[in-house]
Amino acid sequence: MTVPAGSNGLVAEGISLAFGGLQVLNDVSMTLRPGVITGLIGPNGAGKTSLFNCLTGLYHGQRGRSSFAGTPLNGLGPAQRAACGITRSFQNLAMCPDLSLLENVLVGLTLKRRSGWFSAFVPTPAQRAEQRDAERRAMAALNELGIGSAAHEKPSDLPPGTLRLAEIARAITSEPTAILLDEPAAGLNAVETRDLTRALKRLMRSDLVLLVVEHDMDLIMELCEHIYVLNFGSMIASGTPAEIRAHPDVIRVYLGDDADA
Amino acid sequence: MAVSDLAHASKTGVSARGGHVDIARLSVLALVVALSLLPLLAGGFLLYSLSLCFANALAVLSVSMLVRYGGEVSIGHSFFVAFGAYAVAIVEHRLGLSIAASLPLATLLGAAAGFVFAFPSRRLSGIYLAVATMALALALPEILIGFEKFTGGFEGLYIAQDLIPGIPKALQRYYVALAVLGLVCLALAHFRRSAQGLALLMAQAQPRAAEAIGITRSWARVSIFTLSAAVAALAGALTGFASSTVSPNSFTFFSGVFLLVGSVVSLNGLSLPAALVGGAFITLVPTYLAQAGDWVPILYGVALVVVTLVANAGDLRRFLPRGRGR
Ligand SMILES: Nc1ncnc2c1ncn2[C@@H]1O[C@H](COP(=O)(O)OP(=O)(O)O)[C@@H](O)[C@H]1O
Ligand SMILES: [Mg+2]
Repeated sequence: MTVPAGSNGLVAEGISLAFGGLQVLNDVSMTLRPGVITGLIGPNGAGKTSLFNCLTGLYHGQRGRSSFAGTPLNGLGPAQRAACGITRSFQNLAMCPDLSLLENVLVGLTLKRRSGWFSAFVPTPAQRAEQRDAERRAMAALNELGIGSAAHEKPSDLPPGTLRLAEIARAITSEPTAILLDEPAAGLNAVETRDLTRALKRLMRSDLVLLVVEHDMDLIMELCEHIYVLNFGSMIASGTPAEIRAHPDVIRVYLGDDADA
Repeated sequence: MAVSDLAHASKTGVSARGGHVDIARLSVLALVVALSLLPLLAGGFLLYSLSLCFANALAVLSVSMLVRYGGEVSIGHSFFVAFGAYAVAIVEHRLGLSIAASLPLATLLGAAAGFVFAFPSRRLSGIYLAVATMALALALPEILIGFEKFTGGFEGLYIAQDLIPGIPKALQRYYVALAVLGLVCLALAHFRRSAQGLALLMAQAQPRAAEAIGITRSWARVSIFTLSAAVAALAGALTGFASSTVSPNSFTFFSGVFLLVGSVVSLNGLSLPAALVGGAFITLVPTYLAQAGDWVPILYGVALVVVTLVANAGDLRRFLPRGRGR
């Protein structure tokens, strides 16, 4: 799929990534359009997280280009991409154990916060107001995902499902323009998965880029309007849920998996 | 009432919410009141020892800050302590100003020195950073003697000016040191909740996740080192004021090691009680063990091993089944 210059959204073109002799991604292209929930599926080890890391600047592919809202991203590190409005969650939980759940979400606002070094040590009225405002936003994100009641708990006292939702709360609290979620439903029970699905649908705006990486087909089929399928580092299919369900290669990959299991 | 009790109070006081924070707060308040009233009872030598102890407590805090917020260890923080102490002495000798001017100036200069060191070493961590700080501490005596014209060489310099003329020297030293230590502890408690404090804790615990929300490792390293050096220099300024003198042999390589020992003994706590435990350990133990002579470093070593083992035992408790010890 070629992308006209100047188009918006998050675009990756011809990404190839290898670790030593291991070719992890092979000429992969994808377009994440604003206003559309895009899904990325594929069996374990297909390279989903690696592609994700290329989009967020943690890995740099040997070949290929990526751009966001028409601005090239090549060469930018994760922090610089965060400053462009791209946030992500991690497949492995990335909570700071010393911080409460609310504070773990609050750090997601770091780039948006305006209080200087002086008020980090000396309370001022302006700093207090800013702090309250930030806490309100973080709390709103927790409530959006149905885990507001755990706000003041420590991560070590909470079940993994809650932590995963908090991870997503951290990604959405700064009102980013692109949100990339790596296996957000892993370890969630049915109720939590439903809360998550609802929250993501509510979150959707016409100017938001949202990518959900999953190996759970059902969630993706329910949530996403456009789906990419990755297998052994190559994009084997892309299309609407109905097209993907009917795609012979996808059926083979997933039926093959089932036959093994 | 042991080291571990105080340290426990400090941990909850810094971070948790809930019922027993108030008990911790009240006991810290009681401690502050008791220390404030102490000069009514105590004599000169005890006050003098305690003012040094407060200054050392602040120096220990500077190392603990680096451990807590940066996850890094410095063996050479005596460099920044000396920097602050000499700043006070030199400002008095050259400009004739008292600590009212030199205390803030020393802090700013300490921050600047910390930044100058931290920026080029921002990619260093762990043992490599510790060794780099060790180089600072080792170079310090040579620097002090090399710049004899300013530093007074081996002899060092006297610090004679009062903050408020007319008030007994012992009281000035005591209250200035206590007030600065108390204020820094309050500032650190506030810092723990600030945007910058949270960002540093996140960068330390989850560097990749922190990068993904815009907190870079080099920002975190440079920031916490600069802050910690500023506090160390402030502590040095207090040490100079409290002891009325600065000389190279108060800032040897071992002073840097002892600061680290003090930080370990206080379990890297950032509360007033924790800092006092660390400060008292490195001030009073050598004073009262002076008879032990050559044994002092050995006693330090033993204490360090014991405390490290106890502290790690605390960490190991986390791996026991839930519900125990909570
Ligand atoms: N940093 C890395 N170094 C070496 N190999 C890696 C690295 N990251 C991922 N891989 C390899 O890339 C392949 C794809 O992994 P990953 O992207 O995590 O797959 P998925 O997320 O689809 O399960 C795996 O074979 C994995 O071992
Ligand atoms: Mg993965």
